[in-house]
Amino acid sequence: MSQTAMSETYDFLFKFLVIGNAGTGKSCLLHQFIEKKFKDDSNHTIGVEFGSKIINVGGKYVKLQIWDTAGQERFRSVTRSYYRGAAGALLVYDITSRETYNALTNWLTDARMLASQNIVIILCGNKKDLDADREVTFLEASRFAQENELMFLETSALTGENVEEAFVQCARKILNKIESGELDPERMGSGIQYGDAALRQLRSPHRAQAQSAQECGC
Amino acid sequence: MSFHGNNHNCQWSFKSSYFHSGLSSPVTESTHPGEASRGLHEEFRELREQPTDPQAQQEIINSIEEVYFSNDSFDIVKYELEKLPPVLSLQELEEYRDKLKQQQAAVSKKVADLILEKQPAYAKELERVTSLQTGLQLAAVICTNGRRHLNTAKEGFTQASLGLLANQRKRQLLIGLLKSLRTIKTLQRTDVRLSEMLEEEDYPGAIQLCLECQKAASTFKHYSCIRSGGIEQLDVALSKICKNFDISHYTKVQQAYRLLGKTQTAMDQLHMHFTQAIHNTVFQVVLGYVELCAGNTDTKFQKLQYKDLCTHITSDSYIPCLADLCKALWEVMLSYYRTMQWHETHDRDEGAALSSDGSNAVGAEETNFDRSYVKKKLEHGLSRIWQDVQLKVKTYLLGTDLSNFKYDDFIFVLDIISRLMQVGEEFCGSKSEVLQESIRKQSVNYFKNYHRTRLEELRMFLENETWELCPVKASFSILQLHEFKFMEQSRSPSVSPSKQPASAISTTVTLFEQYCNGGNPFEIQANNKDEETEDVLASNGYESDEQEKSAYQEYDSDSDVPEELKRDYVDEQTGDVPVKSISRETLKSRKRSDYSLNKVNAPILTNTTLNVIRLVGKYMQMMNILKPIAFDVIHFMSQLFDYYLYAVYTFFGRNDTFELTGLGLSSSRLRTTLNRIQESLIDLEVSADSTVTLTAVEERKEKVPSLHLSHLVVLTSGNTLYGLAERVVATESLVFLAEQFEFLQPHLDTVMPAAKKPFLQQFYSQTVSTASELRKPIYWIVAAKAIDYEQMLLLMANVKWDVKEIMSQHNIYVDSLLKEFEQFNRRLNEVSKRVRIPLPVSNILWEHCIRLANRTLVEGYANVKKCSNEGRALMQLDFQQFLMKLEKLTDIRPIPDKEFVETYIKAYYLTENDMERWIKEHREYSTKQLTNLVNVCLGSHINKKARQKLLAAIDDIDRPKR
Repeated sequence: MSQTAMSETYDFLFKFLVIGNAGTGKSCLLHQFIEKKFKDDSNHTIGVEFGSKIINVGGKYVKLQIWDTAGQERFRSVTRSYYRGAAGALLVYDITSRETYNALTNWLTDARMLASQNIVIILCGNKKDLDADREVTFLEASRFAQENELMFLETSALTGENVEEAFVQCARKILNKIESGELDPERMGSGIQYGDAALRQLRSPHRAQAQSAQECGC
Repeated sequence: MSFHGNNHNCQWSFKSSYFHSGLSSPVTESTHPGEASRGLHEEFRELREQPTDPQAQQEIINSIEEVYFSNDSFDIVKYELEKLPPVLSLQELEEYRDKLKQQQAAVSKKVADLILEKQPAYAKELERVTSLQTGLQLAAVICTNGRRHLNTAKEGFTQASLGLLANQRKRQLLIGLLKSLRTIKTLQRTDVRLSEMLEEEDYPGAIQLCLECQKAASTFKHYSCIRSGGIEQLDVALSKICKNFDISHYTKVQQAYRLLGKTQTAMDQLHMHFTQAIHNTVFQVVLGYVELCAGNTDTKFQKLQYKDLCTHITSDSYIPCLADLCKALWEVMLSYYRTMQWHETHDRDEGAALSSDGSNAVGAEETNFDRSYVKKKLEHGLSRIWQDVQLKVKTYLLGTDLSNFKYDDFIFVLDIISRLMQVGEEFCGSKSEVLQESIRKQSVNYFKNYHRTRLEELRMFLENETWELCPVKASFSILQLHEFKFMEQSRSPSVSPSKQPASAISTTVTLFEQYCNGGNPFEIQANNKDEETEDVLASNGYESDEQEKSAYQEYDSDSDVPEELKRDYVDEQTGDVPVKSISRETLKSRKRSDYSLNKVNAPILTNTTLNVIRLVGKYMQMMNILKPIAFDVIHFMSQLFDYYLYAVYTFFGRNDTFELTGLGLSSSRLRTTLNRIQESLIDLEVSADSTVTLTAVEERKEKVPSLHLSHLVVLTSGNTLYGLAERVVATESLVFLAEQFEFLQPHLDTVMPAAKKPFLQQFYSQTVSTASELRKPIYWIVAAKAIDYEQMLLLMANVKWDVKEIMSQHNIYVDSLLKEFEQFNRRLNEVSKRVRIPLPVSNILWEHCIRLANRTLVEGYANVKKCSNEGRALMQLDFQQFLMKLEKLTDIRPIPDKEFVETYIKAYYLTENDMERWIKEHREYSTKQLTNLVNVCLGSHINKKARQKLLAAIDDIDRPKR
C-alpha cells in the first residue's frame, strides 16, 4: 500500500496492451483489474488510457504498465503507435457478439506486426456473465486460441471473474520466457525493463542507446 | 539562735549514736512499753545529781568537742587514746577524765530532760496504736466471714441465674430484630416494584415510591442503597439520551430529577455523559473496525489509547469507518440538539403554565433559576461538545497516511469532513479550525504524493506519445470534459463546490432540522458515493458523460453538420460565452489556413494533451474543495504545463548546431523559461549514472527525469519534412494547451489567495505565453533542412558575373532553388493531409525557408570575385524570376528579406560617398559581404584609394561589434 510512484520497487516492468473491438469491455477489464470495481456506465475510450499495477508472480514483483487502447477505428492511428515494444497483450472479444470475435484475426495480425513477433497474447472472451446472450462458444474460441498459440480465458469485468488471472497468466508466461532465455529483456523494444530494485546498471546501456537514437533524430 | 541549731543537731546525733541499739525498732518492742520507760528513769535520776544550772550545763555541752557530734560512727575510745600526749601525766588525765565525765553528765541530763519532755506524747501515741491494732483485728474477722459468705453465694446461686438473665436479654433483642427484618422485607418488595417501574422507565413513579419508602423507613441504612441504586439507574437512563434522544424518555428522566431536586446535577451529569458518549462512541466504532480488520478477537486493541487505535485502521476500512464515525457523532450531536430543543419548548410551556397559575411564587423562582442555569449550561456545552467531536475526528484523520488513497476516495474523505464542518457550523457556528487544519495537512501531503505519481505518469505518456493527432470534433471544448463539469456549477456564485446536495437548500433548512426525526446526513452521503465515484472515475478516463461523448463520437457524420449548427450545439450544451468566443476566434483564423484541406478546423491535440487537460481539471476540483491549499495545487498544476512544454522543446526544438548560428531563434524569455523549468523540475542526473550519490534525494524526489522521444517518431526523413506532422501536432497541441490555461486564468485567479497572485501572473506571463514562441525554433529546424541551400551556393559559384551584355535568361540556380521550394510545397501539402497545418505554422515555415534562401543568395553574391554592371543586372533578373515564381507558391506577403537581397545587389551602383554612408547604415550585412561588395566594385567606379577608405569604414563598424 505504501509504495509511491517514485519509490516503488519491482523486479520487472512489462509493457502491456489491451486490444479488441469497441465495446468489448477493455477499459472495464482494466478498471476491474486495478480498482477491483466494475464501472457500469463507461463510454468509448478516446485514444489511449493508461493504468499500472504491481503484481506478484511466483515471488517476483512485476509492474504492469498497461495501455488501454480505444477500439474504435478512427483512433487506430493513435493507438497503433502504442503497440511497439509491448511484451504482452490482452486480446478482448465479447462472447455475446460474433462480430467482435470475427475481428480477432485482424487484431492479432496487427499486434504481431506492430508490437513484436514474441508478444505474449492472452485471448479474453469477456462478458462471461451474460451467458444467456452468448454467441461464441467456449469451444470454438479455445480452438481459435490453440491454432494461434494464444492463452485463453473467459472473463467477466462485471463480476471480476478471471480478470486478475488473465493479467497474471500473461505476465507469468513472459517471466517463464525470460527465464528460459526465449525472451531477452535487454533487447530493444522487448517491452521489458528491469525494475529499480534489480540491476539498474543493466538498464543504463539501454538508456544510452535511446539517447543516441534520439540525438540523430534532430 | 545558734543553740537551736546545735540542739537540733545534737538531738539527731543522739538518736543515731546513743539510742542506736535500744530504740531501733519501737514497733516490735511495742508490746513491752513499761520496761523501756523504767530504765530511762534510773539514768535520769543519776544525771540530776550533777549541777543543775542550765547555763553551766549549756557551757559544758558547748565545750564538747565537735567530733562527738559527728554523724559518722567513729571509735571514741581510739580517738581519745590517740589524743593523749606522749608523756602521760596522771593529773592531766584525771582532769581530762573529769571534764569528759562532766560533759557526759551534761549531755545525759540534757537528753533526759528532752525525753521527759516528750514522755506524755509518747504514751498517748502508744495508746492510739494499740486501739488501731484492735480495730484491725476486728476487720480481719469480718473480712474472713464475708469471704466465706461470698464463696457460698457464688457456688450456690449466681452462675445459673446470670446466664438466664443474659438469655432473656438476647431474646428481647432478637424480637426487635425480627421486627426490623420484616420491615426490610417489605422494603425489598418495594425495591422489586421499584425496579419494575424503572424497567418501565416510569422514573417519576419510581422516585415517588422511593420517597414514600424513605419516609416510612428512614432509619434503615439499607434504604440508602436502594435509593442510590435508583439514581444510578437514572444516570444510566440519562446517558442513554446521548445516543438516542427520545422525548418521552427524556421527559420522564427530567421529571425524576426534579422530584429528587437535582435538576442542576442532572445537567452537569448530562454534559459529562455527552463527553463520555463521544469518547465511547468513537472508541467503539474505531475498535470495531480495527478488530474486524485484524480478523481475530485479540483483546489487545481494547487496551489501546484511542489515538493509537486510530493508527491501526487499514486503508480499506478508513472510509467506512470515518463515515460510521461521523454518523455516530452526528447522532450524539443530534441528541444534544434535541435536548436543547426539549428544554426550549418545555420551558416555554412551563412558563406559560406558571404565569397562569402564579400561586407558588417561591417555587417558580427556583425553577426559573434552574431554567436559566440549564439554558446557560446547554449553550456553553455546544462549543465544548463540538470541540470534543473535532478533536476526536482530527485524531482519526491524522492517524492514517492518506497519501496513497485513490483520488476519488480522498475526495470522498474531504466531502465527509466538509459535511461535518457544515454540521459544526449549524451546531454552534464554529468555523471548525481544528478540522480545517487537519484536512489541510492531509491534503498537502496527499496532493504532493498524488502529483508525483501524476508527473511520473505524464512522463510515460510523453515518452510513449507518437505525436499523432487525437481526433476530436471541431467544436471540442474542455468544458465538455467531465473534469470540468464543476465549472458550470460554480458559475452560480458562492455555491459550495463540494457537491453537497443539501448546500442548495441549506439557506432555509439546516441539517439538524432536515434530519431531526431520523436519517443521517452522512448516510445520504454514502448513498451519493456511488454516483460521485463514478464521476471522478470517469475522470480517470472511463468517460460516462453524454456531452463528452458527443465531443468525440460520430466524427464522420460531423462534417455533414453545418458549422453554424455545431456552434449552436456548443452553446446549448455548455452555455459558456468565453469558450464560444475563443473557439470562434480560433475558427476564424483557422479558416484562412491554406493547409486545412481536410478535417475542418478541429483543434490539434494529442492523447497526452488530453491527459494533461484532464489532470488540470482534477487539480482544479481539488482546489475548489481545498481552498487553503489552492496555491500548492496551482503550483503543481503549473508543473504539468512546464513538463509538457519542456518535453516538446527537448523533443523537437533543441538543436545545438542551429542554436549556435545565433539567429535569435528562441527569445531570451523562452530561454529563461526553459532554464527555469530545467532547474526546478528536471532531474538530469537520473539517466547518467546509477552510482550517483544520495545527495539531495529529497530534492530529487520533487523532480522528474528528463525525457526521451518515442522511437517511433522519425525526424530524419526529408519526405516527411523531418517529422513535420509530429512537430506540428506537438507544438500546436502545446499552443492549444496554453490556450486552455489562458481560458482558465480568471477562474484560477479567483481561488488564488491574494498574496500568491503574483506567482500566477508570472506563470502566465513567463511560461504560458511563451508556448507559441516555441514554434520558431521547432519549425526553423524543418526550414533549415527542407531546402538544400548548400547546393545552391555551389551552383551560384559556377555562374560568370562579369558578363558584357545584358542577359535575358536567368541562371539555373534559380530554377534549382525554385524546384526545392516546389518540392517543399508539395511535401507540405502531403503532410497537411495527415495533419491540419494552421496558418501561423505554414507562415512560419515559409518565412523561414524564404529568409534562409534569401540570405543564401546574398551570401552567394558576396562570393563573387568579379562582377560587371551587366552581371549585377543578371543578379536582379535572377532574383526577380525567383520572386515571381515564389509568389505563386506562397501567400506570404511581403516576401521576407526581399529588401535584404535587393539592397545588397543595388549597393553595387552606389558612388563612393553614398556607399560609405550605406555601409554605415546597413549593419545587417556581414563584414565579409560588405568587403566583397567594395572589392567587386573596384575597377569600375571605385578606385583603390576609395576602396581603402571604404574598407576602413567597414573596419570601423566592425570594431564596436566585438
